[in-house]
Amino acid sequence: MIQIQNLSKAFGANEVLKNISLTLRSGNVYGIVGENGSGKTTLFRCIAGLEKYQGTIKSDFEKLKNHLGFLQTDPYFFPKITGREYLQLLSIARNSKTTDFDSRNIFELPLNQYAITYSTGMKKKLALTAVLMQENDIFILDEPFNGVDIHSNIIITGIIHKLKALGKIIVISSHIFSTLNDTCDEIHLLKDGVFTKKVLKEEFPQLEQEMKDFVIGNKIEKLKLR
Amino acid sequence: MINKRAIQYYFSLQYRMLNRQLSDFGLHPLAGYILSVAAFIGLSVYLFLKTEFAMYIYYLLAIGFTYMLSESGRNGFLKTCFNADEYYKIRIIENALLVLPFVAFLTYKSAFLPAILLLVSAILLVFLSIRSTLNFTIPTPFSNKPFEFIVGFRNTFYAFVLAYFLTIMAVTVGNFNLGIFALLFVLMICMTFYSNPESEFYVWIFSSGTRGFLLHKIKIALLYSTILCLPVVVGLGVFFPENIAAILGFQSLGYLYLVAVILAKYSTFPNKINLPQILVIAFSISFPPLLIGVIPYFYIQSAKKLNEILE
Repeated sequence: MIQIQNLSKAFGANEVLKNISLTLRSGNVYGIVGENGSGKTTLFRCIAGLEKYQGTIKSDFEKLKNHLGFLQTDPYFFPKITGREYLQLLSIARNSKTTDFDSRNIFELPLNQYAITYSTGMKKKLALTAVLMQENDIFILDEPFNGVDIHSNIIITGIIHKLKALGKIIVISSHIFSTLNDTCDEIHLLKDGVFTKKVLKEEFPQLEQEMKDFVIGNKIEKLKLR
Repeated sequence: MINKRAIQYYFSLQYRMLNRQLSDFGLHPLAGYILSVAAFIGLSVYLFLKTEFAMYIYYLLAIGFTYMLSESGRNGFLKTCFNADEYYKIRIIENALLVLPFVAFLTYKSAFLPAILLLVSAILLVFLSIRSTLNFTIPTPFSNKPFEFIVGFRNTFYAFVLAYFLTIMAVTVGNFNLGIFALLFVLMICMTFYSNPESEFYVWIFSSGTRGFLLHKIKIALLYSTILCLPVVVGLGVFFPENIAAILGFQSLGYLYLVAVILAKYSTFPNKINLPQILVIAFSISFPPLLIGVIPYFYIQSAKKLNEILE
């Protein structure tokens, strides 16, 4: 379990997260939804310990970061490192003895090619594969469906279901509502650094409609498309 | 038609970028230019004093710098911004400006033909576009322990070819100093692998604590730099056995500087190494016993920085 209490984070005068509290339990999938700049990635970086913050983040683990797999929105790759070497690096870093990269390469990535030459979706899949190989207990997946093809989309959804069944904690952010609908147990709406709403699975269809009405409004008419 | 205003703006932007880089480095731009000129003249004089092959090394260095500007991504971007005439004009000016100091020094040394050859080569390089991300993967013996030596080796493998060539030359002509220069050159290249900080994610992923992390980095650096130095050390050891103590002395000193550079890198992490760290290393190069204090100092600073991420 992870307990986040009164978490605040500011960059200078810009307060990005304001007194956020959230409890994450094993075997659950949590969706974090918000506009660009609402603080999702900052929240994830705070949980991962990549940002200093005010408030507390408690977990059952002595060192949370060593049990946490963090898939970043835009994973960084060194210019001349192959997919295989990337997987090797992330495995070694967590003292994992995994070497059967080929058999675990379910996205059929060209592991002997430089990772930097991969497409956006392939990079995402490589980073996700690496995070899964680390055998973590908690997964923070920042836009895992971003840029991936429809087949991989289905596989990633399946992976999330499997992780849930294994009792892992999964936190996802996504801008594609259907993927959240398929995977999450509850969705938290983040707006201007504050959780404004918590929505349970049975209320997802209603939430989707509300979001459409709120987000679209009469904006499209303003474009005066002809 | 050539848009002169666009070209002028491009170069003014380059100038601004350079000034910002110097400022980020902790230097006033003017001081940066003065120091750069002084360092360039100093190193050039030193190189020409030290070896008779200075001309070749000098030529390769200058071409190496212009080669970096030929990267296909960069040139692709320029081609989308400017028409063909403007593009070639910009690239010719860029390459000519870059080799100008080298040409000037060669002219000063009365090496007129190499100076002209260098200028012509630099201009011809404009018509070459180099893909920095080849589909071909350069093999490295370091794949088991990513990443500094994998990336570094693939980026600079030609420098090792040059260093080994210099070693052969040193042995052939019986010039021990040239051999030591080659050894130090290899060690220096290894140090450059640690010149830029990696994304903090690549530190964060390590489950070992700060001490374990730093020891792991140092262990890998010492092991892999030994592999890269081995051809030079063995070559010099076999052909200059009377100087074996000097060879091992330089090698050991190189190890200490490598450790100092690694620790200096993490002492400012996630920011780049800046002027104070460079000055400390520069002082310790001029007076190596300083390393006794410098290495523990950088270690403590690194531990402070890394604790924020790893502990």
